[in-house]
Amino acid sequence: MVKTERMVAARSDGAPGRAWLVGLAAWFIPGLGHLMVSRWGRALLMGGAVWLCFFLGMAMGGRLNALASTDPWSGFLVSLFPVIGNFGAGALYIVSWLLDYGFAEDVEQAARVTFEYGYIFLILAGLLNYLNMLDAFDIAAGRKS
Amino acid sequence: MMLFAALASIVLGAMGKDTNRERLLYGAWVFAEFVVIGLVLGWVLYFIPW
Repeated sequence: MVKTERMVAARSDGAPGRAWLVGLAAWFIPGLGHLMVSRWGRALLMGGAVWLCFFLGMAMGGRLNALASTDPWSGFLVSLFPVIGNFGAGALYIVSWLLDYGFAEDVEQAARVTFEYGYIFLILAGLLNYLNMLDAFDIAAGRKS
Repeated sequence: MMLFAALASIVLGAMGKDTNRERLLYGAWVFAEFVVIGLVLGWVLYFIPW
């Protein structure tokens, strides 16, 4: 079967349950989804990029976002999109949230030269992991080689 | 900016195309785009006074 035929066949069959599991695993632990479908190189490159991005962001003094805010309405709107970005890092975000690490609104931390860079790197890590998740899902569903 | 461009282009390049050669070229292209656009935007914003 050529590539387009494979894609049409996969689309008409629907994604198997394992593909959803792989997608969930790829989101939860960056790189795990590709490991589950035996794509070692992609797991190392794509998962590694997310891990590196997240820890570089933390090392630069970046801050993670949470939906809770002193001003519920405006705080919610302002923090919604950064939270969606941060949340893409899966367990990295959840563990940080459980340990309450990286969420503090510290003036000294915000004054660091690298604070804004770190903030963006932490969001980038999550957004890149969403791409990893979709890639691993497509591979597991047979839509991509 | 270079780190940002490198990490983003690794992921975009790895998932973008069909063969390894195409992925490498695509990743390099995306990296170059990030760097060039970043530099251009940086200079444009430098001259905007507000």
